[in-house]
Amino acid sequence: MSDAKTRNGALQLFLNSYSQIALGAVMVTASEILMKAGANTVAVAAGAPHGGSATGWLGIAALSSGYTWLGIGFYILSFLSWIYVLRSVPLGIAYALINVVHVLIPVGSWIFLPETISPMRWCGIGLVIVGLLLLVGPVAKVEARL
Amino acid sequence: MNAIAIILCIVCQLLIVAGQIMLKHAMTSTTAAGISARRLRNFAMAIGCLTLWFFLWLGLMQRWDLSKLYPFEGLNPAMMALGAWLVLREKLPAKAWIGLLVVCFGIALVARS
Repeated sequence: MSDAKTRNGALQLFLNSYSQIALGAVMVTASEILMKAGANTVAVAAGAPHGGSATGWLGIAALSSGYTWLGIGFYILSFLSWIYVLRSVPLGIAYALINVVHVLIPVGSWIFLPETISPMRWCGIGLVIVGLLLLVGPVAKVEARL
Repeated sequence: MNAIAIILCIVCQLLIVAGQIMLKHAMTSTTAAGISARRLRNFAMAIGCLTLWFFLWLGLMQRWDLSKLYPFEGLNPAMMALGAWLVLREKLPAKAWIGLLVVCFGIALVARS
């Protein structure tokens, strides 16, 4: 009985639009980091010539990496999550909250990829966090009115 | 960057806003459930806008450094809120607008560094 209740509660949480915004942001971050990891496996020097072929500037070579495909999978899942969110949440609110990816992606690339973050960039990330915190209160108020 | 590149960067942002608004329309059509022709048309137009954005952005990246192009992403949250307000008649409280502007500055700062 209580087991079924817990499972039901977990499902409700999963189907909540705001949980899906958070999950979507994490999936976008995972997708970007995985695609970058895939692209890194066939990396060329910045500014290297395109080898003369018409499609040389496309990142098709990265499709040889499993990371890239996993990244594409996460991207598709995040899109499905997004259109689910749009069914019930106003676009302005959903889009404002999804800005959290501007924090998650740089921090994720710092943790999982060999990338560094300059002090100036940390300041920018901090500003995004402050802006999001300013947003959360009014957004909750709008949501309560719906 | 020349004037045309700057205009194209702004067109990119407008395409994202238009695409998202049509996606929102497609997902919340007045006919509550099911697949209607109107819903499908909105969805197709949204995908069209976002595809156009993708290739325009790719083309811009071919010609200019990402560090020059990326700061325009900072316009994105404000333009989306503006679009949602003007087209979808969604209202955001004043404090939320302040938050959005801070986010925009943050993104621009991340992009510049």
